[in-house]
Amino acid sequence: MAKAKGYSDPKMEEKLRDRYYYRTDSNPEFSKRIRDISQTVSHMCYQCGTCTGSCPSAPRSSYRIRLFMRRNVMGLEDEALTDPDLWLCTTCYSCTDRCPRDIAPTDVIMAMRNLAAERDIIPVNFLKTVQAIYTTGHGVPNNDVNRAARQRLGLEREPPTVHKYKQYLPGIQKILDHYGLKARADKIVAEAEKHA
Amino acid sequence: MREYAFFLGCIAPNRYPGCESAAIRTSRKLGIELLPLEGASCCPAPGAFGSIDLKIWYAMAARNLVLAEKMKKDIALLCNGCYKSIWDVNHKLKHNDELRDGVNEVLKEIDMEFKGTIDVWHLIELYYDPKIVGVDKVRDSVVHPLTRTRIGVHYGCHLVKPKKEHHFGDSENPMWIEELVGALGAEPIQYRKKMQCCGAGGGVRGYDIAHSLDITNEKMINLHEAKADAVTEVCPFCQLQFDRGQIEIKEKFGKYWGLPVLHYSELLGLAQGMSPAELGLDLHAVDCTPFLKKIL
Ligand code: SF4
Ligand code: SF4
Repeated sequence: MAKAKGYSDPKMEEKLRDRYYYRTDSNPEFSKRIRDISQTVSHMCYQCGTCTGSCPSAPRSSYRIRLFMRRNVMGLEDEALTDPDLWLCTTCYSCTDRCPRDIAPTDVIMAMRNLAAERDIIPVNFLKTVQAIYTTGHGVPNNDVNRAARQRLGLEREPPTVHKYKQYLPGIQKILDHYGLKARADKIVAEAEKHA
Repeated sequence: MREYAFFLGCIAPNRYPGCESAAIRTSRKLGIELLPLEGASCCPAPGAFGSIDLKIWYAMAARNLVLAEKMKKDIALLCNGCYKSIWDVNHKLKHNDELRDGVNEVLKEIDMEFKGTIDVWHLIELYYDPKIVGVDKVRDSVVHPLTRTRIGVHYGCHLVKPKKEHHFGDSENPMWIEELVGALGAEPIQYRKKMQCCGAGGGVRGYDIAHSLDITNEKMINLHEAKADAVTEVCPFCQLQFDRGQIEIKEKFGKYWGLPVLHYSELLGLAQGMSPAELGLDLHAVDCTPFLKKIL
């Protein structure tokens, strides 16, 4: 017969309840927000490690996706969001395709990055892409060498994107400004460059 | 002719314009007319934008989708990163009213509205789909078969994965792009860890270049071991990582692989008789001559 979970002695129960799940720095709200943003059943992780075994970043760094999955379940918000390894996921989705619990660890990482970004923890290279798009509409903009090459190939020097139709640029800027992203990017990049 | 709005993205038009012209010219021979999508922007980069704030990623991608909705054309594109942004966001907004309302709230500020009236396709799936083009028609378009070449296929990540959300079936060892390579007369080869990432995605290329190149280097080791003459892909960002990455690998790790890297559109262009100059192959960082010598 299966035994009921928990301890019959109330004192013992009080002492040991959830001891594996919570530490003093646990924040259960963190796990909930991760679940909301990632839209995946992130709390269902049973730590099998299939994700880390599938991960191209694992063999060449200390990044372990399984560790981040555990931090999520345990609500270890600060530990997860301030770890520089958070940014070593290539978003290759190999773990997502293999997770036996049908979780999308990749989307958990994306959600954690979103929450880190709320604290202005965003690597500078990500923000430089934002700045490039704000000024040109493209993350990787055109340049003179490429313009000449395009011409040689019989293409217009500017591709028929916002590069050629510049009247579309204000719309793009308006979307980014709606979220105040350009101002934040400028601020964080300037601070990072000051410290560099 | 089937008409599609051609979503260019950034790296094809601004770094490998040969992919753009090859895609337009080769598709035309297969009954696909690619029309300019005026005013399109970066998709935006799923790694950079999605990581900062998924909501902004949705709104920016939605703006691109609305441009095509206004043209009343489905979108065709040639980059896995763009596919991730444009296909995924289209799909999510079509199926999640709350998300769509949120995005439309923002788009209202620029007099746009996402309606969900179009679909998004990667060119490679249009080529494979017998209802649109199909392998046989691709084979029939070949005037210059790429015989005696061994080509490794790099699927990239954001087309076939995640398999539950996308519709390409098996993501452990898919073989359909190999069929399309075989149709050009080349021999598609198998190599270890075929489905491993190129190393560039998720912002990692910019965040930690040595880490990112080490992933690329592993791909190079495995392709070399399988005696590949070239690697083909369907994503200009993977192309940039493999092509320029080999120069960076040489600088950082001291090993030069010299493996030519060709987007499937470029391979198809060669097989349909376009010249290396017309394809802008001279713009590649890794010299394609050893590969071209085998076929020309
Ligand atoms: S594969 Fe899934 S269940 Fe296993 S450790 Fe990773 S996230 Fe958890
Ligand atoms: S998606 Fe990220 S965590 Fe998952 S296997 Fe790929 S690199 Fe690793």
